[in-house]
Amino acid sequence: MIRFFHVSKFFDRCAALHDVTFRIDEGECVILSGPSGAGKTTLLRVIFGMEVPDDGQILVQNRNIARLHARDLPYLRRTIGFVPQNFQLLSQKTVYENVILPLIVQGVKRSEARRRVAATLQAVGIDHKQAIRAGVLSAGEQQRVCIARAIVTRPVIVLADEPTGNLDQELADEIIALFHTIHAQGTTVLLATHNQRVMAQMRGRVLQMRAGDVVSDKRMVT
Amino acid sequence: MRVWYLVRETLNNIRVHRGDVVIGTVTTAFALACFGVFLLLYLNLQHLAENLQSGIEVIAYLDPDASEQVVSDVHQRLRRDPAAVDVSVISKEQALRDFRRHFQRDALFLEEGNNPLPVSFVMNVRSPESVSEFVERVKRFAGVQHVQHSQEWLDKLSIVVSHFRLGAMVIGTILAVATATIIRNTVHLSLYTRREEIEILRLIGATGRFIAIPHVVEGAMLGAVGGGLSLVLLKVSFESVRSELLQAVQWFDGLEHSLTFFPVPVSLLLVLAGMVLGCGSSLLSVRRLINARS
Repeated sequence: MIRFFHVSKFFDRCAALHDVTFRIDEGECVILSGPSGAGKTTLLRVIFGMEVPDDGQILVQNRNIARLHARDLPYLRRTIGFVPQNFQLLSQKTVYENVILPLIVQGVKRSEARRRVAATLQAVGIDHKQAIRAGVLSAGEQQRVCIARAIVTRPVIVLADEPTGNLDQELADEIIALFHTIHAQGTTVLLATHNQRVMAQMRGRVLQMRAGDVVSDKRMVT
Repeated sequence: MRVWYLVRETLNNIRVHRGDVVIGTVTTAFALACFGVFLLLYLNLQHLAENLQSGIEVIAYLDPDASEQVVSDVHQRLRRDPAAVDVSVISKEQALRDFRRHFQRDALFLEEGNNPLPVSFVMNVRSPESVSEFVERVKRFAGVQHVQHSQEWLDKLSIVVSHFRLGAMVIGTILAVATATIIRNTVHLSLYTRREEIEILRLIGATGRFIAIPHVVEGAMLGAVGGGLSLVLLKVSFESVRSELLQAVQWFDGLEHSLTFFPVPVSLLLVLAGMVLGCGSSLLSVRRLINARS
């Protein structure tokens, strides 16, 4: 599903990723942990094609990200749900409009799109606020909308960058429970966090990062 | 669903970013109006020069003692000459009346029975290039004493017009580039404020075309409205200047017909130019934002 072969990425000669090699199989739930600046976000961005590696190869669903043409990138992204750290919602649009947008982009029929949005909003527990503008929601609610937008297209991979970073513990627990559900449906989940409690709650593999390196790769015992 | 979304998104963009749209439209209108002022000036000066050149007047004075037969012969030859148009005869009596009208006090010494003024022929020359040849030909006609024409002045005017054309091309090009740059920067600034929206669309797998279409359509609409607005500005200013000028230069008979606003095709071209500039600027700006790989 995702394969890294000796991947390096530099920003101003500073290695954000240094000779990283690992593999994530279909249906796995992987926690990317490590302190701030360890390279977690860069690693997710590289998988999503937002950054081009300076060295090495990355295969995502058997497609080499580094060699992917710019016009092919959107089609790969449609198979990956991305939950960015800062939500990145269209604040002037309603919750419903934000969540239906990926389906419009993919040309899904209106009736089917409506049905999927309704189901997804219900799944993330934000269906009662679908007519409200995203900009006026609380951080926890925005995070839910962001997750709904990422999973509404039924992606094969979900990447989440510190999805609980802006939330209190109670809300964080609810969000983690959501990711459990997403993973239970067979989606490959790669979640970056530095929160020890989140790591303890998630069942699966933990890739520990430090200074751009993957320093350990352990499977959580449940 | 996508087409409906793109139409709605274009209108929504205009509604949400109406401040930017109004500023963009007004800037486009003024930029195009600046270029339009120059174009209007150029077209009118060229028109005026053409009018002056096409109306080259030649006057052939006959010998004051020329017989009626000579007058008739010269008249026939001039009418048959392919270079001459609108040939008219000024008889001795008519010449005297004109002289008296123009020089009332000085004309007192001229009496009806003692008219020294000759018969003359006034005509226009079909093309400015044939004036010299025509004048030389007329001078050789029997009974013609003197031929008066404005060739020297027109030669100088031709040089001025040709220099003006060259200067106009240079200034026109500079102004066109400046106009395009102003419109491009205005549209780019307007789009730059929406880079986060574009970024979000890229995040959910939208193609470049999907992202660009609403912005390009909006740019085209902005440019077209700006072009139309510039036409209104130009028309109002032109009519005001024209009326002032006609009041101030009443002695110039041909001025009223020489001052003209853009013909319909040029007006449409100005609106089209605004549209193309708005559309192209949006496309370039949005492409730059889309191609930044992130």
